[in-house]
This record gives sequence, C-alpha cells and structure tokens, in this order.
Amino acid sequence: MSQTPTLVEELQRLEKDALQEVERSDTPESLEEVRISFLGRKDGRISGILRRLGSLDPEERPRVGQTANQVKARLQSALDRRREQLEQGSGEAQGAQWDLTLPARRSWVGGRHPVTRVVDELVAIFGTLGFTRARGPEAETEWYNFEALNTPLDHPAADEQDTLYLKGGHLLRSHTSPVQVRVMENHQPPIRVLAPGMVYRRDSYDATHTPGFAQLEGLVVDEGITFVDLKATLAEFARLYWGPGTRVRFRPSFFPFTEPSAEVDVKRVVRDSEGELRESDWLEIMGAGMVDPAVLDAAGIDSERYTGFAFGMGPGRIGLLKYGIPDLRLYLDNDVRFLQQFTQP
Amino acid sequence: MNVSYRWLRELAPTLETDPNLTADRLASLGFPVEGTERLAEGMDGLVVGRVTQVRAHPNADRLRLCDVDPGDGETVQVVCGAPVIQEGGLYPFAPVGSTLPGGMEIRKARLRGESSSGMLCSEKELGLGSDAGGIMQLPASLTPGQPLVDALGLEDVRMDVEVTSNRPDLLSHRGIAREVAPGGSHDLVLPPIPGASEELERMLDGVKVVTGAGEATAETLTVRIEDAERCPAYLGLVLRGVTVEPSPPWLAQRLRAAGARPINNVVDATNYVLLELGHPLHAFDLDQVAERTVIVRRAGEGEILRTLDGADRTLVSDDLVIADPRGAMAVAGVMGGLDSEVGPETRDVLLECALFTPGPIRTTRKRLGLSTDASYRFERGVDPEGLREAILRAARIILATAGGRVDGPVVEARPEPFRRRKVELRVARVETVLGIEFSPERIRELLSPLGLGVEGSVDGVMEVEVPGFRSWDLTREVDLIEEVARTHGYDAFPETLAPFRPGTVPDDPLFVLEDRLRDDLVAQGFFEAHTLAFSPPEEGEVELLNPVSVVEGTLRRSILPGLLRRVAYNLARGNRDLRLFEIGTTFRHGDAGALPREDTTLAVVLHGRRNPPHWSTSDEPLDPWDLKGVVESLAARIPGAEVLVPETCEEDPVAGAIFEGDPLLQVRDSKDGTRGWAGILDLSSVDLPPWSGVVWGAEIRLPRNPDLPEAAPYRALPTRPGVERDLALLVPDDRPVGPLLALIREGGGPDFRGLDVFDVYEGGEVPEGHRSVAVRLRFRADDRTLTDREVDDQVHALTIRLKEEFGVEIRDGRS
Repeated sequence: MSQTPTLVEELQRLEKDALQEVERSDTPESLEEVRISFLGRKDGRISGILRRLGSLDPEERPRVGQTANQVKARLQSALDRRREQLEQGSGEAQGAQWDLTLPARRSWVGGRHPVTRVVDELVAIFGTLGFTRARGPEAETEWYNFEALNTPLDHPAADEQDTLYLKGGHLLRSHTSPVQVRVMENHQPPIRVLAPGMVYRRDSYDATHTPGFAQLEGLVVDEGITFVDLKATLAEFARLYWGPGTRVRFRPSFFPFTEPSAEVDVKRVVRDSEGELRESDWLEIMGAGMVDPAVLDAAGIDSERYTGFAFGMGPGRIGLLKYGIPDLRLYLDNDVRFLQQFTQP
Repeated sequence: MNVSYRWLRELAPTLETDPNLTADRLASLGFPVEGTERLAEGMDGLVVGRVTQVRAHPNADRLRLCDVDPGDGETVQVVCGAPVIQEGGLYPFAPVGSTLPGGMEIRKARLRGESSSGMLCSEKELGLGSDAGGIMQLPASLTPGQPLVDALGLEDVRMDVEVTSNRPDLLSHRGIAREVAPGGSHDLVLPPIPGASEELERMLDGVKVVTGAGEATAETLTVRIEDAERCPAYLGLVLRGVTVEPSPPWLAQRLRAAGARPINNVVDATNYVLLELGHPLHAFDLDQVAERTVIVRRAGEGEILRTLDGADRTLVSDDLVIADPRGAMAVAGVMGGLDSEVGPETRDVLLECALFTPGPIRTTRKRLGLSTDASYRFERGVDPEGLREAILRAARIILATAGGRVDGPVVEARPEPFRRRKVELRVARVETVLGIEFSPERIRELLSPLGLGVEGSVDGVMEVEVPGFRSWDLTREVDLIEEVARTHGYDAFPETLAPFRPGTVPDDPLFVLEDRLRDDLVAQGFFEAHTLAFSPPEEGEVELLNPVSVVEGTLRRSILPGLLRRVAYNLARGNRDLRLFEIGTTFRHGDAGALPREDTTLAVVLHGRRNPPHWSTSDEPLDPWDLKGVVESLAARIPGAEVLVPETCEEDPVAGAIFEGDPLLQVRDSKDGTRGWAGILDLSSVDLPPWSGVVWGAEIRLPRNPDLPEAAPYRALPTRPGVERDLALLVPDDRPVGPLLALIREGGGPDFRGLDVFDVYEGGEVPEGHRSVAVRLRFRADDRTLTDREVDDQVHALTIRLKEEFGVEIRDGRS
C-alpha cells in the first residue's frame, strides 16, 4: 500500500502548523525556534520527511519530493516576511510608530520652459490640422530674410524690424519667415509646415521687448488654398487654444510677403475676480495673410497654379496673455521659482 | 500720422461727428488708431472776457487794474502785468476756480495790496502759441461769456493713426479722409483758406504753367533736372513781396492740432500742405538762389552743405541735391540748406514742389541719419499727380497770410509725363484667392470709392486704372484683390474649414530629438532655461555689426557660460540645488563668405544636493557619477553618441575655457568626432556665494539630421531562470575599471547577460594599492536551465583572461 497520501497529507498538516506558529511568533528569537523546529537540518520535521524520500517507492518519490520542496519554499518565504515585519514593526501592531504626517521623500521635479510649453501646445493643435515642423538657420542672408519675401532692401518695410547684422554682411533673422522660402525651395506642394524658432531684433530690454524672442511661423501651399481657408484654419486654432467661446477677428494689415494681409485678434471668455464669466478685451495674437505670388515665384513655385497662406505668432507673447505674466524679461531671468510655476498640468 | 479730427471733417463733411466711430472704421480698414487726445482738455472753464476799464495800480508802476466782464455783466477786478490792454477789448479770461491747460488753478489773490479775481491769458498760457508777452487779443465778433473753446474753435481731437509702409497716400489728412469717408473719394472737398480775398483767388486761378522735359524756363525762373531717374518732376513758383511773420491763429492752431510746431507763415504754409495733401514742399529765400536757376543734380563727392539744423553735411555723389549754379541749396527730399532758409528778412520766395524716387532718398537719409517729414513721405512714395495743386495751395496760403503776389508761371520740369497704370483683374482669380465669388458689379462697387477707374468685365477681365496717389502700392492683380477683400470686409468672409491634403514635409527629426531630450531631463528633475544667443566678445567668435550692447557683441560658441550666469542669478536669490538645461543654437565661423556654422546644442548644469532634503537622511552632495548618469542618459538618446573618459584631453579651446581643468567626460560620435564634454565648471567668470561649491556641467552638440532609430521590436521574455555569480576583482589603483568591465561584456561567454558593479572597497583584507571591485555577473540561456557547471566554466574562462590581460586577481571566498 502506498505511503504517499499519508506523507503528502502530513506535509500539508505540517505546513499549516508551521504557518500558524510563524504568525504567533512575536520576536526574532521565537521565529528562529520555529524555523529550526520545521526546517532545521538535523531535527526539522519537514527535513525529516525529505530524508525519508530515499526509502520511498521510486514512482512516488517525485510527487512527495515536489510537495516537500513547495512546502519548504512557502514556509521559508513566510519566515522571511515575518522576520521583516518583526524587524520593522508591523502595520497593524506598530502603525502608531509610523508618523505619516511627516513629509514624504520626494524626487526633484523639473519642467519645460513656459515658452516651450506654449510652442508644444501650438504644435500639438496645428498637428491635428496636419502641420509638421520645419527649421532653418538663425543667421541668415538678406535674400532669405528680405528679398525673397518681397521686401526690397531699399523699402521702408525692411526697416520696420530693426535688424541685427553680423560682420561680413549676413544678419540674424528678424522673423521665422525665411523658413517659408527654404521649405518651398526644397519641397513641392502640398506644404503644411510650422517653423518654431528664435528671431532677433535690435530692441532694448523692457517689459514687452527683448532683442531675441521665440516666433512660430506657419505655411500652407497647395492648389485651391483661399482666404477662406486661412480664416477657417486660424479661427479653428484660436478656438482650440483659447476655448470654444472665443471670438476671432481679422483686421486688414500689411506685410510685404502676404497679400491680402491680416492681424488676428481674439476675445476670450475668462473668469473675473468675482468668478463671473466675461469677455476679455481684443488681444492681438498673430499676423497672417495669403502668400504673395512674388514669394511663391522667388521660391520656384508656380503662383498661378498654387496659392497659400502663412501666419506668424510669438509664443512668448501668447504665454504672457495665457499665464498673466507681466514682463517678457522673466522668461530670460530663469529664476527657478518662476520656472516651477509651469509644471502643471 | 497725427490727424486733427476737425481738419479731417472739413475735408470729408460726411464723416461721423464722433471720432471714435471713425477710429473704429480706420482700424477695421487696417489702420488702427493708437491713441486719441482731446486738445481742449483743461480749457473748459475759460471764457471770452471784456475789459471794461483799465486803471493804474496804486502801488506798482508795471501792473494795471482791469475790470473784466466775464459775460454776466458783473465785473471783477483783475491785476494784470501786460503793457497793452485796451478798454472794450475782448481777451481770454480764466475766472476764479478754473484751471489753465498746464493744470494751474486760478485762485483769488492779492497783488501789492489789490485784489485780483481771475486772470487774463496770453497765447502761451493757453498752450496756443509761444507769445508770452501780451495778452491774446480776441476778434471783436465774439461775445463775452462765450466758452473760449467754442469761440476759438479749439474743440478738436488728435488721433494717432498707424499707417503701414505700403500706404504713403495715408500720410495726409486728405488721404485718410478718402479712405475712411463713407463715399470715399466722392466725398472729398478742399476747404477754403481763411483770409483769401477774391482778388487773390483770381490771381491764383490765372497762374499759368510752363512745362519742359529736362529743363523748363520762364522769365522768373529756370528749372533743370540733370538726374531724371531720381527726380521725375520739379515745380518751382516765385512769390514776391511777402512779409514773414508768425502765422495767424487758424493756421498755427491747425498745425498744432496735427502735432506740428508753427514757425512762420511761409514755412507753416508748406507744412500745412504737407499735412493736408501729403506733398512735401520747400520754400527758398529767392535772393539766395543765384541766377534764379534751380538745378537738380547729384552732389559732388565731398560737397558740403549746412542744413537747416545747423549741421555741416558732407555729401557723396550718390546723393541728390537742389542747387543753384553756385552750389547745393538743399539735400533733395530730405532737408533744406541753412543759407537759403526763409527768415524774417525774406521778401521773395521760391516755392518748390517736387517728386523724388523713394530708394535713393532712403539711402541718403539713412547715411545722414536724418529722417524728416519730407524724407518719410518721399521714401514711401508721393502722389505724382498732385504737384500743381499742392504748389498753388501753398501759394494761396502764403499770399493770404504773408501778403505778396505771384510772379510768373509755375515752372515745371518733367522729363516724362506721368501716365496712370492700368492693371488687369481677372474676375475668376478673385475667387481663386479669396474663396468666394465676386461679380464684376460688386468689384466695381468696392473699388471705385478708392478712386480707382474700373471698367466693365470683358471676357472675365476688368481693367482698373490706378490714380497717382495709389500708384505705389497698386501695381499687380493681387494688389487689387486685396483691396476687394479689404473693402468687402474681412469679417464678411466665412470660416468654413475645408478638407486638406497632408503635406510632403516630414516632421523635422531634430525637433523630435529635442522633445525626447527635454522629456528625459524634465523626468530627472531639470528645469528648462531660455537664454539669448548673445555673448561677450571673449565667449563668441561670430561678431555682430550693430549689437545692442558690447556684452552682447558676439554670438555664443557655447551655452554653458550663459547658463552658469543663470545659476549665479538663482544662487544670489537664495535658490539652491539647481538643475537647469537649455537647448539652443551655438555659432562658429562658417567658410569664408558663407553663413556661420550653427549647431543646436544641449547644455546641462547641476548644483547642490543629489536628492531633495529629507528628515530621514543626511544631505549628499552630487558627485561625478551623477553627472555621468545624466550624460549617459542623454547620449543614449542621441544616435551615434557615446560617453568616454578622455584619456588625454585634446586641445579644445571651447571646453578649455569652460571647465575647471580638463573635462571629465567626453561625448563622441563615431562619424562626427567630439560632440561634447562634461565636467566641473570654471567659476572664475561669475560671482557666486562662498558656500556654493561645485557646479557640474555638460554640453552636447546635437546632430543636424539625426537618424532616429525605429522603435525596437518586442523580445520574448525569458522562460528559464538565470544564474548570478559574484566576483571580487583585485584591481590596482592605477588601473581603471572600465576596460575590465568591457572585457567581461565582450568575453563573458555565450550565456553572459549582463553585469552590475555593486561594491568598490579598499582597506581591510584588500592588499595595499588595490581596490576590491565586486561585480555581479548574470548568465542565462534561452533554451535550457543552465547548470552550475556550465556557468562555472564561463566564469573561470573570464577570470583567466582578466588575469592574463590585466593582471587582475580574483579575491578568494567570494566567487
């Protein structure tokens, strides 16, 4: 008759007893006694069964061995867990020792610059409208910064942004519009790109001017692009960015590289200090227009077949409006007490 | 452009009386009003007063006692210091309790024992002129008690209209009136000149015009144009017998309302026409024009002219001058000369009204650093058609205010007659650009109030004739399309979002890489900083020609110095434990004549404690392995980049100036060589508090066009248990551990899966001059459970190689 059921049952009984005793142990010393009584090499009760394996029927050996090893492993891990509890104090028994009103252990928290955050948001929104990102150099030629953008050097429009020149005749781009030309030179329509980047002007530092600042340019060129597409795209953007109740206004303006040209204003719905919803003033957020045919021609794109629109805005300025930041220079101070205000959400 | 609203309404009587409505309309047309100012502000309490009696002051020879009737019949006594006060005369009167434009409040006073209840005012006290000596005499037609603002027509609003550089025609009151009046050009009238007699009108109507091509001559004057390209037209007119004196109030007041300063009646007349019609005119003292001959020519190289502002201007042959046979009298279109200036002695005047080509005017005025009302208009473009009207308008005002007569005809040299341009407008193209359909009738309705001549459509093409005042900006079809959109109203276009085709331009991979690096650094607790690319001369090699300041005179070669200054800024404000990064552009010289070489560069600085302070542990400062961890995490993102401990620091001037001693780590690229460095920053250039300690920094140039890896495919999780073996390597102090680990990684055997260094120990049982480096090796096979024997063999093979190749012993008892 097989001994196996008996041995397996015995192992199961032993495990139950052992686990109870482990739970009852309340000092490391008593726990060690439990360990020795069950798993001790010489007199341990489970070890004893394992020693008897050799005398078993070879067919039964594996089953009993396997059970014994499993019991041994479970018991060992129960012992380890209990030892840890006893060493640190258990949640139930010793909860009072953990003063969780003390401060937690933290990691350093970082964050993107607020201007980068605005750029990211703009890129994400225009991304849903099919735009990808393109880039161009910050040091530029007069051709790309002015002439290819339908701005003759001897026209006053070339003066309106006081340009910083480099020794040797090149300049720092005064807007991101040169990227328009570079993209059109290297790609065929349809084109839908954004060009975020730094631009430079010879301005003194004050609350609304710094000699370098971020700009974000957009360009769309394809067959059948019209002024209605320009209005629709930018109004859609404005409502996605500033909220669905936002009103958008397009005013005529002049840029040498677009015609017709427009300034885009928004009127937001904001909560005032009393918590009431009200409309803000009109805020100027960007310049835009239909790409001037001279710009398309200069970049080698057939202006009879293709039309397009372009727009440009200042993420820094948008940040001022969005966050209520009073002074552009705060962006460049990089005081961490300022930077850490923009880690949420 | 400063606009007097009163003047504007005289030119376009159909305009609204409320200037705010006009300001809104201007804004909607593209010309926002930056500000408005009520000119009569502060004068509301002032009235017309009649002086009924003048008596001597009993205690002062220079003072008089005047009885003034402020309109209610009850006279008050006023002490007055002015020498001439006429009994019965009308004067501006400020009663007690009123204020003057300067803000001074009038109170009851006692002067040398006599009471004074109010004040009789001079022009200067009213802000109406510079005459401070006498009390301003008012016309007898006024009534005592009348508010002075009404009596003098001072109720006016000055609007500052922002005019874009493509619209020089709006740099005049008439131009703005034409743009904003409901009926456009159809609504315009030219207001009469006060004081112009019928006889004078007849004289001016009878003035003839003598026209020549390059040269025009009359008995009174010869005009010769030697550079027709730069001066397409020049008109001269001689006036004789004028009396130069201060302008009458209406003229002075009008100029002041438009923000100009009155000088004398002749000069003011030219400025009036400039502001009204947009034509810059100039008046010469005819006695100073030799041989009564005007020559428009290039300046001689080095020719010197003393301009009206008293400066001696050295001219170049590229400049255009107005000269007589002796020499230059004016820098054409920019400023007149001092010698031929009209002054109190002037009796005879030569009036000039000319047309100059924009580009060269701009070049000259930029070179001279001299921008005037005239140059501002000429460099944008002046109406080539309005010259005769303008010169006669100015003559009319001069004769009405300074007397005199016209002598001879208008002498007009005009090499080429002006012809109006005709621009073709395809009706279908309007829809192609604007997105909605416009009928030819609608287009005509929109364009003709602008003063454009619009023909009906023939085969879908309309011919549009452009008048002179718009000849500068309406040259192409698309310019007309813009006018259609603008006059139709941008708000009237729908905002229907149409389907779009995806573009052909891939998202720039460097932007993608930047995003990933930002994510990594933010997750490691870094704040992103933004600094500008300008740097002091010693930190950059690409120099600016016109920098904002010397300390921003170059473009940075490296971001770290600027970022270090931000660390100093923060430390000075008590902010500690700084972890900042920036991704920005750095600049080096390009090839000769080419653009500078730009790199998108990542810089990182770390300072202070490794972890945020916590009550449970004491603070640990950052150490080089923290820096190495940051740099390795970044390099892992950058295709091709690896971090090395430089064996010898090659000569790198940029790194040399930034780090204290040699940089500790180098980032290399298998193709592009050095990408960057990391180490301890040299703090000698910044002012840091004494407790600040070490600042760690790294800078890595990013690849221009990174070949970003595709997402790695899934690898099956192991199904077999792994085996670990610990080794304690006895490493001589002068031998770096890196190569040993590299050997293990490379030669660990077929089942080697990785290693960790878990302890480095010196002293105790470790022999002198050695470190014990404890390494845990991990082995695993995918297809079977490894036996001890298999692993032992692989470890053994490793230990032999370590000993043979590096002389490294394995410490007993740990393997």
